[in-house]
Amino acid sequence: MKNLKWKTTVPVLLVASAIALQGCGNSASNSNSTNNQPTKESSSSSSAAPITINWWHAMSGANGKVIDQVVKDFNASQSNIVVKVTFQGAYDELLNKVKATMGSKSGPSMVQVNDVNTRFMIDSKMITPVQTLIDRDKFDISQLEEHILNYYTVDNQLYSMPFNTSNDVFYYNKDLFKAAGLDPENPPATFEEVTKDAQALTKNGVTGYAFYLEPWDMEQSFAKQGELYVNNDNGRSSEPATESFMNTKPGVDTLTWWKNMLDNKLALNFGRVSADAQKSFIAGKTAMLTGSTGALRGLVDAAKGKFEVGTGFFPIPEGSAKDGGVAIGGASNWIMNNKSQEEQDAAWEFIKYLSSPKVQAFWHISTGYFPITKDAYNEQIVKDNLVKYPQFNAAIEQLHQAKSNYASQGASVGVFQEMRNFYASAVEEAMNGKSPQEALDKAAKSSTEAIQKYNETNK
Amino acid sequence: MGNKLAKFKEAAFGFGFLMPSLLGFGIFLFYPFFKSVYLSLHSTNPRGQIVDFVWFDNFKDILGSEHFYQSIKISFLFALMTIPTCLIISLCLALLTHKKNKINIYFQLIFASSIAIPIGNASVIWKILFHPTAGMFNYFLSFLGIDPIGWLTDPAYALISVSIMTVWISIGFTYLVLLSGIKGIPEDLYESAKMDGAGSSAMVRKITLPLLSPAIFFMSVISVIGALQSFSQINILTEGGPANSTNVVVYDLYQEAFVNYRFGTGSAQAIILFLIILLFTIVQFRIAERKVHYS
Repeated sequence: MKNLKWKTTVPVLLVASAIALQGCGNSASNSNSTNNQPTKESSSSSSAAPITINWWHAMSGANGKVIDQVVKDFNASQSNIVVKVTFQGAYDELLNKVKATMGSKSGPSMVQVNDVNTRFMIDSKMITPVQTLIDRDKFDISQLEEHILNYYTVDNQLYSMPFNTSNDVFYYNKDLFKAAGLDPENPPATFEEVTKDAQALTKNGVTGYAFYLEPWDMEQSFAKQGELYVNNDNGRSSEPATESFMNTKPGVDTLTWWKNMLDNKLALNFGRVSADAQKSFIAGKTAMLTGSTGALRGLVDAAKGKFEVGTGFFPIPEGSAKDGGVAIGGASNWIMNNKSQEEQDAAWEFIKYLSSPKVQAFWHISTGYFPITKDAYNEQIVKDNLVKYPQFNAAIEQLHQAKSNYASQGASVGVFQEMRNFYASAVEEAMNGKSPQEALDKAAKSSTEAIQKYNETNK
Repeated sequence: MGNKLAKFKEAAFGFGFLMPSLLGFGIFLFYPFFKSVYLSLHSTNPRGQIVDFVWFDNFKDILGSEHFYQSIKISFLFALMTIPTCLIISLCLALLTHKKNKINIYFQLIFASSIAIPIGNASVIWKILFHPTAGMFNYFLSFLGIDPIGWLTDPAYALISVSIMTVWISIGFTYLVLLSGIKGIPEDLYESAKMDGAGSSAMVRKITLPLLSPAIFFMSVISVIGALQSFSQINILTEGGPANSTNVVVYDLYQEAFVNYRFGTGSAQAIILFLIILLFTIVQFRIAERKVHYS
């Protein structure tokens, strides 16, 4: 009897949970609207109950707390909209969750998606381009940073509103530079100069350069050299990209440079963990590394009392004088189109708030991301911050000096995350014996296949 | 007529009792299985929705790619490194601790204890042990004057490290099965062997091992299936890396389906893996059954 009970209750429970889980399945049929959904004038009645919107983001730790603060301020500043904010894991984790909700109503109204997945979001046809709302409300975007807008503008449309933006800068230990007889105010600008400085710096338990595997670095190297990462104008003109250029000269040059530095013991390899590389830099065990401006405050603060941190531009190979400049990194906010017009409008109101100089100034000084609007630089807190962290100037200068062209806009493909995985495997293979050309050839081939498969099935 | 009705009633009654388990199997085994077959014949768009019926294109793609054979090779290497090691260690431990006495009870408890640890928790603990700078293993090595090893970051070591952890966690169950197998061997066989003047090594070879062969055979079949389906520890410890050195088939198909959102090729990979495991199980039964001694 006991046995029988057990046997019946378990399947009953299983069936019940299966039914409950069904709600999570994706039924594609009810994705009712298209990209260019006509937007009707919003009738915001102030007497109605407040509209609640869900915002999913990927900012963990200290930056997550800043987000919570910003949202709290917004909710307190007005009574029509309540923003509910949820941290959903790192960028790719978050995107996978968004993918799983596409076609159902369970997803967020507004979602933060990282730079490289912009093409996927556009192709998903699950979003309302912010351009429609900008045009409708005649919202002035002339004060927004041009280079940042350029990245998120595809086919002359701004699909999402940039939010957190960083770029890739070069960090060095000024004290170690002095000790090695190098000019601490003159950071190396080319691969060759970095190698030469590393030779002078590598001694007494110090290694010149900290290398860690960050696919973004390779993408920046292409942009900085003024070269395309994928064909068809980096996938940004009328035709989508169909081929990866990962294995062309700029890529092979960059990887060969890293490999030689490691082989000659002028650099230490920290694998895929950027935090480990930064720790060694702070400990004074390594003297140079590249990294996001997002790490700037952390590095400068941690080095306080030990040594002075210097910043410079991301290095390029000698003689590559083509027009380039680092592309930006970071993320933007998207409005999902499977929500009611009221909710989309509420999300748009919130996005406008996020883009205001005041919020951007607060966001900038609390996180280290660039403000997306130039007006933020006039805010007093930003001016004070630049006095405290003069290292930011190099990053801002690098951003403003970048020539705007297809190369510096960065690649636009739908399978960027997958390409990064292929690239990461290629680097690991090159570090373990394969030639950089051979390793990148393989990764480029796999990437091209993935891009083409994406294009074939993207309907 | 009445007879038929009675028979039907009896059959219906029987099926009624089977229904709960059939339902469970149906939802969690048969339905996903047929859905996988269905998906494997289709292509999906970047959002994971079905686009086209493509016949066997997914299978052709997979069987034509070097990458797939690489992950098959790693899966088998992994099985080869874990199964014999685990069986031999467990067998030795079982032989050493099967006698009833006060101390052995504690040893039995210790050796079987890894069965109670969820594989996710175990992986997290081992990840800390393997950590390049903060991990225990490299700390102990430093006492011996050995340079730190990139347990999980060096392609030459990563698969070995994952295997060590897998052997450790599988010992619990294997040990338990073999121990109960040994305990099931009648005592009088040993007594009469002793009277004939057999030594203890002869008794192990001539009595214990042959009579334990059904348990060993059972464990080897289960282990092959388990090893080829390993996922959790790889997902937590290495994520298939570095340089794909631990990218076993199951992890690869997970990536394909749930990261790249290509359910078609992901499902096709799952079907191929299913066929490989099926083939192996049949072969094992054919070959091993002749040598297994059922008393």
